[in-house]
Amino acid sequence: MMAYSEDHIALAAEYALGTLDADERAQVETMMAIDNDFTVIVQAWEFRLGVLNQMVGSVEPRPVVWENIKAAIGRSEPQAPAPLVLPEEPPPPVGPVVVQQAPVADGSNVIQLSNRFRRWRSIAMAASAIAAVLVAMLSIEVYQPDLLPEGLRPKPRTQVVEVKTPAAVVAPSAQYVALLQGQGGGPAFILTVDGATKNFTVRKVGAPAAEPGKSYELWLISDKLPRPRSLGVIGGGDFTARPVLSSYASDVVNAATYAVTVEQAGGSPDGNPHSSPVYTGKLIETVPPSSQPPR
Amino acid sequence: MLTPAELVWLIAAVAKGDEAAFERLYAATRAKLFGVVLRILRRQDVAEEVIQEAYVKIWNSAGQFNPGLSSPITWMASIARNRAIDVVRKRSELSLEDEPAAAEVAADSPDPLARREMTEELKRLLECVGRLEPDRQKLVLLAYYNGWSREQLAQKFATPVNTVKTWLRRSLLDIRECLGLGS
Repeated sequence: MMAYSEDHIALAAEYALGTLDADERAQVETMMAIDNDFTVIVQAWEFRLGVLNQMVGSVEPRPVVWENIKAAIGRSEPQAPAPLVLPEEPPPPVGPVVVQQAPVADGSNVIQLSNRFRRWRSIAMAASAIAAVLVAMLSIEVYQPDLLPEGLRPKPRTQVVEVKTPAAVVAPSAQYVALLQGQGGGPAFILTVDGATKNFTVRKVGAPAAEPGKSYELWLISDKLPRPRSLGVIGGGDFTARPVLSSYASDVVNAATYAVTVEQAGGSPDGNPHSSPVYTGKLIETVPPSSQPPR
Repeated sequence: MLTPAELVWLIAAVAKGDEAAFERLYAATRAKLFGVVLRILRRQDVAEEVIQEAYVKIWNSAGQFNPGLSSPITWMASIARNRAIDVVRKRSELSLEDEPAAAEVAADSPDPLARREMTEELKRLLECVGRLEPDRQKLVLLAYYNGWSREQLAQKFATPVNTVKTWLRRSLLDIRECLGLGS
């Protein structure tokens, strides 16, 4: 393959991103028609960026769309789909990959807890660039297709529980978001702290329902505190507020790691977590959702 | 949802003119492709036209699909998305704010977050996007997901178009370097 200048590569990349104007797009398409190597570069960018579509929600088109496609490919009568013999495939992986351990029966073992706490810290430090970009996606509502016409929006399946938190935790009008996610999975819970209303919200997004007899419990972990502090059980409307945040300085709240564990139904009986965190995240300041995109 | 290998199998059958395979391919992928183009076009009627054209193109060019280069769903989504971008760039007179009243559509959309598993390729890309400055992350994501032009991005970020152009170029080249790629 011949060497292409950075300009060519950037042009191919911007074509795939979609930001070229109509004339530039036509120019790229002409170049692709006469230069196979350039086509390969453009397609590589399309495929590289195309994985982003995994994050976009599905929307069913109307049945008439298929009728029109059938007509366009020159066939009038639908045929019954022939039974297909497909290659044997392993079943597709389902659900986020979650490091989930059975709760330990006796959680009062101090040594065991401190080991576990060390692991919590390392997971917290892995709060990575991926989390940052997921927050950016959240802020442009990739997850919440509010831009869609009414009736086309996915049915909301988030569970929202609101709890009043003590005032003066964060600056007014600032919006803080933490995506709580497991290893390798998408976000399981979204934690938001609204600076203006001082409301503290946990939304269940990708997390599976808690197993029977178990509850999800939210914890605050800080370097400045000797052990994780419970922020209550996340569950069908029975979020339990505890007078915890009011006693912490803003910098503790803002810098803390928030973690979700699986506890016995109703939450930890002794104020200590009894499993490794299955989902963790940190608060990131984000902008309020924009009202309308520029057009 | 079918597995990628099943989709590859179907596309190979479509390339030989197998209409039943095409119908199965459509059934397995239509909601994803429609979700992608509707987000860009924001009008149901236009989005429907676009995926009709996209599937006709998929029917006609199935023989060109190379499973060594791309996953089948990414290849199909690229065709649909390119068509959508062409439409928004060429039809700037089309007011996308004028949404037709009452979209009479039975929407049955799976929660986009539920039961999602990110592929390794997505995680790598997100890691590289996540290393950009926060504003540039948003710039890239708005460009990709919403199909915004440089002008729209410039307005959103209250910055000159030329600056947006520079940011986009720099961001894409940074992503390329982060991914460790030559082209």
